[in-house]
Amino acid sequence: MDSKEVQLLKKALERQKKARKQAERILETKSKELYDVTYHLKQANNKLEGLLNVKTSSFEGAFINIIDPYIVMDLEFNVINMNVSAKEFLGYDHTKEDINLSKLVHKDYINYTAESIKVLMEVGILKNYRSKIVLKDGTEKFVEINSSIIYDKSKKPIAAQGIIRDISQENEIKQLLAEQRKQLDIIVQNSPLGIALTINSKIIKANPAFSLLLGYSNTELKSLEIIDLFKNKQDVTSLEFVRTLKSKETDNFSTINNFSKKNGKSILAKTNISTVRDNRGEVEFQVAIIEDITQQKILELQKEELLKDLENSNQELQEYAHIVSHDLKSPLRSISAITSWIKEDYYEMLDDNGKNNLSLLQDKVESMDKLISGILEYSTANSSDLKNTKVDLNKIVEEIKESIYIPKNVEVIIPKSLPTIKADGTKMYQLFQNIIGNAVVHIDKKNGLVEVIFKETEDFWQFSIKDNGVGIAEKYHKKIFEIFQSVGEKERSTGIGLSIVKKIVDRYDGKVWVDSKIGAGTNFHFTLKKLI
Amino acid sequence: MDILFIEDDQVERMKLQRTVSKLQLKHNITEAKNGEEALEALKSNPKLPDIILLDLNMPRMNGIEFLKILKADESYKYLPTIILTTSQNRADLLECYRIGIAGYIIKPLKYGDYESKLKKVLDYWNTNELVKA
Repeated sequence: MDSKEVQLLKKALERQKKARKQAERILETKSKELYDVTYHLKQANNKLEGLLNVKTSSFEGAFINIIDPYIVMDLEFNVINMNVSAKEFLGYDHTKEDINLSKLVHKDYINYTAESIKVLMEVGILKNYRSKIVLKDGTEKFVEINSSIIYDKSKKPIAAQGIIRDISQENEIKQLLAEQRKQLDIIVQNSPLGIALTINSKIIKANPAFSLLLGYSNTELKSLEIIDLFKNKQDVTSLEFVRTLKSKETDNFSTINNFSKKNGKSILAKTNISTVRDNRGEVEFQVAIIEDITQQKILELQKEELLKDLENSNQELQEYAHIVSHDLKSPLRSISAITSWIKEDYYEMLDDNGKNNLSLLQDKVESMDKLISGILEYSTANSSDLKNTKVDLNKIVEEIKESIYIPKNVEVIIPKSLPTIKADGTKMYQLFQNIIGNAVVHIDKKNGLVEVIFKETEDFWQFSIKDNGVGIAEKYHKKIFEIFQSVGEKERSTGIGLSIVKKIVDRYDGKVWVDSKIGAGTNFHFTLKKLI
Repeated sequence: MDILFIEDDQVERMKLQRTVSKLQLKHNITEAKNGEEALEALKSNPKLPDIILLDLNMPRMNGIEFLKILKADESYKYLPTIILTTSQNRADLLECYRIGIAGYIIKPLKYGDYESKLKKVLDYWNTNELVKA
């Protein structure tokens, strides 16, 4: 080979060397770059991993520190982890024993739980699962659980976690509320009173009685106001009703109005409006309670009419008694006068028998006069109005002592001053006069004594008129209070006095009775109800 | 005194006459059996009575009806009118005083009592100064 050729080969080799070197240099650079990138990536990765760890642990920390019970379980329901409050709530500790949550579910909720788990597996989360569970100590609790599935890197489910909320109390309250609401509903639905709830006068709800009362359906009522149901919206009571309702000044008021039923008939009803206010005192609702008083009103009117009739017939009876008494007394006066004249004019011509007969005639006339007066008094004792004022009974007894015949051997005393009571003065006079008058004339002792005694109970005054007279046999104790029943020896007795006493005592819701033994005196007692 | 005595009962009229004559009182008694008769008696006699004794329960026109007419009349209303009745009805008594009366006497049962009561009434009015017509 010649040198030129050698030279050429050398040069070629030289170029190749150069090219390789260059390639090596490039490779080296690239490799360096690659290294750098790898390094950076690694670093970034580390950083990320760190971040992830922090997040995970803080995540876990959050759950562990959560107040509600928190549990992680495997897919066979075995507890893997649980927080303190879960341990406290369930009474189990997973570090000390194996817990299978499926065993805790109350038997009534097993089917529902199985379905719920299916949903959880399919969807990955389960919200508001509610069931009853049995705790370690046997108590049953209502719980609400929100849970989700935990997956591994390859998206394969490996566990589930859940937060438990104890809703037992909440449930109890709800049940109680529901129960109360039910009871309240029963009351409202079955109430004979019409009840409607209104907002701004508009009816928003009404019970069946309300619909029935006025003949409108619930739906029809909803477009109405209470005032629309009034028969006459323009009368005084209606206008006053609306004014009071709108003014909202009173929380409770009532009116009586004529209502128009859907069929046109009218009823008289009492309406009571109660206002329900919210926390701020704003009117929330107005409750209208309507009571049909048509029948009541009719009865009231009937009663009034009856009372009026009764008053009239009482009045008539009294007048009648007066007329009869007058018409009977007039001829008696005549007979009495003529008898006197015969006695006066023909005194010399009459023998003793004739004179005696004329005296007897006058006596009979006198007792008949008394009888008529007694009947009049008896009939008016019942019918005339009681004019109840303050009556000093000491004065009454004194007046009686002055006006009636008291034998000389008899003394009427008041051992302890009598009270001043609220009663009808005339009636009190009649009452005491009849008993005292009876007592004083039925005393056979040398020193006759009649005492007027009283005692007081919460509701009654009790008076006793005690004498040391002849006494009344026990078999007559009831009879003496009946009209025309005279048991005394005295011929003048009309048998009316004590029946007047009984009538007056009856009018004061009292009682009258007698304690007496033949020869040992009589004690008349009566009570009068205290008037306010 | 001139007395107008309005009374439907014959025996009552006899009682007054007897009382007046027995006590030897010089009174001139004009009798009327009811309110209507009494009004006629007042109209027919130009001289009015000094007092009127009036019963309440009478037929045709009773005492209260008569009293009302009397008290509504300008010349009659000054006549002292004394009720002489058996009625113890308080409503009657109040009504009479409301319309205007000079007295209310209840007839006692016994004639003797009647006499003494009437003597007092007549003596009292006899002592009074009277509106002589």
